[in-house]
Amino acid sequence: MMLITGPLWSGKRDFACRLLGCTREELAGRAVWDVQALAAGCGTDAELEALAGRLAGYEAVILTEEGGGVVPADPAVRAAREAAGRLACLLAARADCVVRVFCGLPLVLKGECNL
Amino acid sequence: MFTLVIGGAASGKSEYAEGLLLAAPGPRYYLATMEPAADAECRARIRRHRALRAGKGFVTVERAVDLAGLRLPAKGNVLLEDLGNLAANELYSPAGAGPDGALRAVVEGVLHLRAACRGLVVVSNEIFAGGRDYAPGTEAYLRLLADAHRALAAEADSVCEVACGLPIYYKGAKP
Repeated sequence: MMLITGPLWSGKRDFACRLLGCTREELAGRAVWDVQALAAGCGTDAELEALAGRLAGYEAVILTEEGGGVVPADPAVRAAREAAGRLACLLAARADCVVRVFCGLPLVLKGECNL
Repeated sequence: MFTLVIGGAASGKSEYAEGLLLAAPGPRYYLATMEPAADAECRARIRRHRALRAGKGFVTVERAVDLAGLRLPAKGNVLLEDLGNLAANELYSPAGAGPDGALRAVVEGVLHLRAACRGLVVVSNEIFAGGRDYAPGTEAYLRLLADAHRALAAEADSVCEVACGLPIYYKGAKP
């Protein structure tokens, strides 16, 4: 599995399409995105681990970084942001390759991928 | 040569960007995009940036919107600071291009500028890793700046992110 991360609207899905050689429509069958939003539904570390395990079955997993900026005052938003960050780490540990996309430009953080 | 320099608030991106043009022959223009200062914090920040540039040989040109209509006095090197302000001006200012025209005004304006100068360094803001839970209207601004970043990064010779004053190059080589 390849983890593709990066800030909001940085071109992550376009990069995934380029790498997998598929269209935006075909991407849904091969990749999953906005997985940071799934983390909020995990009540325990075990659930978060299980989620990461399930996601690792995809060719590409796309996660938007949300950990920058001010720590949110709302406890639920704060917890969701924490869970999203931990999910990113769990996915990166399982990934063969981790790429951060910034302004549409990829930077390999782990492993090798044929860009 | 067109370099896009992106960083968080007070990441050292301006000073790094200025440094990129110091070895270049003159004239050097500092293209300031901030609209006439609205509050004391803005005025203090402008003073700080002026002090940083003092003695570095930059001629300041103020331009808040419509870069495509800008004519520089001579062909030189330009430091545009910053894209985040320019995008906000095009989106929100009465003189700006508005929601439908802002992206085009920003991107084409910068590309016009690139064609009109020898070296161009554009400074912009990294504001995209803090989630999207903002007041209504802010998302349109975020989207505009993100779209402008990707469009300009594709055109740029070099793209770097600055953290603690140090650059990380995503495109091109560190000079």
